[in-house]
Order: sequence, then structure tokens, then C-alpha cells
Amino acid sequence: MKFFDSHVHMVSRTTDDYQRMAAAGTVALIEPSFWQGQPRTEVGSFKDYFNTLIGFERFRASQFGIKHYCTIGLNPKEANNEKLADGVMELLPLYICKEGVVGIGEIGFDDQTALEEKYLRIQARMAVEADLPIQIHTPHRDKKAGTKRTMDVLEDTGCDPARVIIDHNNEESVKEVLDRGYWAAFTIYPHTKLGNERLVEILREYGGERIIVDSAADWGISDALAVPKTAAVLKENGTTMETIERVTYGNPLEAYGQSGQVSESDWEDAEGVDPSALFAGNTLFRGGQDVEEAMDQYKVIT
Amino acid sequence: MTLEEKLLEILQRSASLEAMDWLEKECAAQRADFVQRSFYYAFSGVSRRFDKKGALTLQDGDADELGAEVPGFTLEGWDQFRLGRVILLLVLAEQGEEVFNETLGKLLGTADLREQAAIYSALPLLPGGEKLVELAIDGLRTNIVDVFDSIALGNPFPAKHFSDEAWNQMVLKALFISRPVFRIVGVDERANANLAVSMSDLAHERWAAGRWVSPELWRSCQGELSDQIVEDMKRLVESEEPGQREAVALVVAGSDGRLKPLRDKIPNLIEEVNAGTLTWDHVGRKYGNAQFSVFNDQQSDKK
Repeated sequence: MKFFDSHVHMVSRTTDDYQRMAAAGTVALIEPSFWQGQPRTEVGSFKDYFNTLIGFERFRASQFGIKHYCTIGLNPKEANNEKLADGVMELLPLYICKEGVVGIGEIGFDDQTALEEKYLRIQARMAVEADLPIQIHTPHRDKKAGTKRTMDVLEDTGCDPARVIIDHNNEESVKEVLDRGYWAAFTIYPHTKLGNERLVEILREYGGERIIVDSAADWGISDALAVPKTAAVLKENGTTMETIERVTYGNPLEAYGQSGQVSESDWEDAEGVDPSALFAGNTLFRGGQDVEEAMDQYKVIT
Repeated sequence: MTLEEKLLEILQRSASLEAMDWLEKECAAQRADFVQRSFYYAFSGVSRRFDKKGALTLQDGDADELGAEVPGFTLEGWDQFRLGRVILLLVLAEQGEEVFNETLGKLLGTADLREQAAIYSALPLLPGGEKLVELAIDGLRTNIVDVFDSIALGNPFPAKHFSDEAWNQMVLKALFISRPVFRIVGVDERANANLAVSMSDLAHERWAAGRWVSPELWRSCQGELSDQIVEDMKRLVESEEPGQREAVALVVAGSDGRLKPLRDKIPNLIEEVNAGTLTWDHVGRKYGNAQFSVFNDQQSDKK
């Protein structure tokens, strides 16, 4: 089975994860711009971060046969530093229309402050102007109200809900998100937030339309295999294969495909992995390893 | 036909009507009222309008027409993205110096690989050539082959603007990373004694390591025959390694008396040189990006 993980922070993950993901069938992923566990203090740090997302990280993924896309934006946590945020707003127009950038994200609310709203509005307008999908981060605290407030702001700014993916949903937030016409993504974290069994119930209630499953794996305890593992749990619990395929592959492809920057042919027609490829003189494979050999150890989990 | 019209004409042979329409409208809009943010959207947004795998359709006569405008300028190896972006950069070049410099700096500082290649490819068409030299030299420090090639190969900018020092570094690095030297514009005109010494030294280093040396290395040594190079030629005329005797023939056929006796050792090759069927460009096409091991003579194409 093929999987599309539409939310995963690969800059924080090791090559073991890339190998496991490729072995488990992840053919494409989206890396949203986010904070990095601590606040950045210089605009230049964002520039280099964005350059990594469109540069070396894309190369790393390609070395495991995985297509890497990204969304570019200022996350709500760092939106609370106004001077920094203004600098990032100047930077964004340089990136958002680049090849392989499938939207503006992840943006939204964290503490739900006035500054967070200010930069959510600016970025939402930018997405409308550049005709791009939006990837929304919903707050972990006061989620239901924060999600509702996010949608109010987006609609006030002229965004089309069909081009917005609202992430980190739970049982409490999903109904209104779907009712108002948005895509609803669910992050499957081990132990916290939403376990994969809870998703079985959600799919039973809402079906697979406009629902997306992602891992949001990052620098914390999280699972880069959350999407394929969820697919396995859903199957065991009797979810139809058609629904599983939709929420783990077809829906994220359709939602972000609206950017015109991602299509199935990107991986279906790919020429395979060239282990001798270099990026800025760097290779990922040491001492003449080849990809097949490097991957073999992970095949047991499929 | 202006250069820009010619470039548009070439691009439209392979690009979609919609993409061309978009590009021409963007150029007109930016000319009427230059807005930095819209320019960023357009420059990167070329990727949203043109075919990402779209090659150009070049025709006989293109090279001559382009060369008449900007000597040495060709579109060999370009794709639709690159040409679309270069056309937009021509519009940027019409803005005031301050806007041009600031915008170009920002584009380059945030460019992905294909955008970098487009910016460097545009250098010979942009104003203030001397001021862009540092950008080009810095660009050559890359280890990304496509970016290096966009400056070093088929681009008349370095030959026109580089100091000998910068030129020599570029040609040396091209050989070092197995790039085809025959595609460097001005490679014969910019040859100099210092470069010839460096080239011969590079060959000696490679030999010490038991490695093959591209015959293109000797192209920059013609006419600069130091004693060491004369000895190198005497050694190579006996060499079985791929391409070496061809290189000797090319050096010797047009050189002074000291090497005359070597001609008799390779009469057939000398004849080919005199007949014009063996040239540096032939050697470059054959060996320019090849890599051989001298121990087994097996060609291993560098991918």
C-alpha cells in the first residue's frame, strides 16, 4: 500500500525514519514549517530553515525514494515576537510560490493572542493572493474554541474552506470543521492526543470524505510510521480499504494537489534512487552502501 | 528582433500557450509598475506555469542569432523554467540600480537550485557586469554540479569579466570535478602561463595517486610550454591511457620546435589534427565528463 504523510517534520528525524517510512510504503510527505522546540531570535534563521526545506531535506528524502514537499509559513508560537514576525512576513513572498511548496503552513493559533491573529490574517491573505492551500495548526489548549476562531478569521479573510486543511482535530472539533467545508486532518501521536483506535470511531461516524490522517512526527516522542500503522489498525477494525486509502493517501493528495505542485506522477514516474547523488558535496550513504542494502533491515515491519 | 523577443520565440516553441500568455502579462505588468512582491511570485511561480520537465526546442541558427547579440551566449542545457526566469530577470534589469541589486540579492539568497541556475545563467545579460563578478565567483564555490555548470559552461560571463586568478580557479575546478572543459566559453583565449603550470601540477598529483587525467587538461597548456609540460608531452606520447595521445597531437601539431620530434611518433593523429577531424572539442565530447581508472581502463560514467 502507498501512503502520503501530509504532516511530518523531517528535519528532526533520522535516516532510520526515512528508511522505515520508505519500507512501509510512504511515497510522499509534506513538511510544514514549524518552530524548532525553542524560539528563533533572528529572521535569518528562518531564511536558512526555509532554504533547508526546499534544499537539503528534499534531497535527503529523495535518497530514500520519497517525494518531499513543504508548506511555508510563520507558526503561531513565534508569531508572538512581533519584530521577528514582521521580518518573516517580508521573507515569505520569496518562498511561497516555489516549486514543491504546496501551501502556506502551519499557521493558526497557539495561545490565541492578538499577535497570533494578526499574523494568521496576513498569511491567510497571502495565500489568497498567491492562490495557495493553507495548512492550519489548531491549538492544543482550548482546541474547540480556537478552531472555531481560526475558521472565523479565515472566512473573514476570504479563504475558500475547500483549500484549507485544518490539522490536529479531535472528536470535539471535527464536526464543525467538516460542516463548514474544510478538510479535517487527524494527527496520530503515540500515547497522547489521538490514538489510532479513536480514529476508527471517528471514521465510523463521519466516513472518509475530507478526512486526512498524518503523523506530525517531530523532535518529540512521535512516530514517523503513524500513517501506515493507523492503516493497519483501521483494517483490523473493519474499516473498508477504500476509506483507508482515501484518508492515508488519496485525500491529502487531492487537498494539497490544489496547489498544482504535487501529483501522483511525481513518484509514479520517478526514475528511482541514485545513491551516488550529492547535495552540496554531501552524500547520505557511507562507504559504498547501496540503497537496497540499507533498506533491507527494515523490511520486516511491512 | 530584440534579444528578449528572440528568447520568447524560443520558449514558445515548447511551452504552453497559457504559460506564455502568463509570462508576457507578468513582464508587461512589472514594466508598467514594478512591485517586488509580485516579482518574487512571478520568478518562483514560473514553476507553477511551465512544464517542470519541459526541455527547450532549439533550432539551427539560434546559437548564431544569440551569439550576435551576446558573444558566446547559448541556451544549451537550459529548460523552460530557466528560460522563463531569465526573461523575467531582463525586466528586473530595467529597474533602477538599487532595486535591481536588492531584489537580485534577495532572490539569490533564497533561491532553490533551479532558480540559482537561472540567475547565474542570466549574468551575461544583466547590467553592471563588473559588480556581479563576486556573485559568480561565490556561486562557483558550490559543490552542486548544476549550479557550477550554469556559471562555468556555455556562459560567456567569466571569460569577459573574471581576473586570471578567478578564471584559473574555475577551469581547475571544472577539471577537478570532471566537467567538460570544451564547453567553457573562452577557454583558449583565456589560457595563461599560470594556469598551464597549475594544470601540469594537477596532472602530476593525479598520476602520483594512480589516477587518470582528462586529456582536456592539456588544452589550457597549449602555447604555454614550460619545461615540465614539454616533459609531460614526451611521457604522454607513449601513453596507452584513453585520450592522452590525442591531446599530445593537438598540443604538438601547433607548437614550436621543441616538440617537433614527437609528431613522428603519432603521424596518424597529427594528420587528423591537420585535417580538422581531431579537435579539442572532439576530445571534450568524448572525454569531457568521463572518469577512468588507469588500472583497468574501464570507463565508469559519473552519473
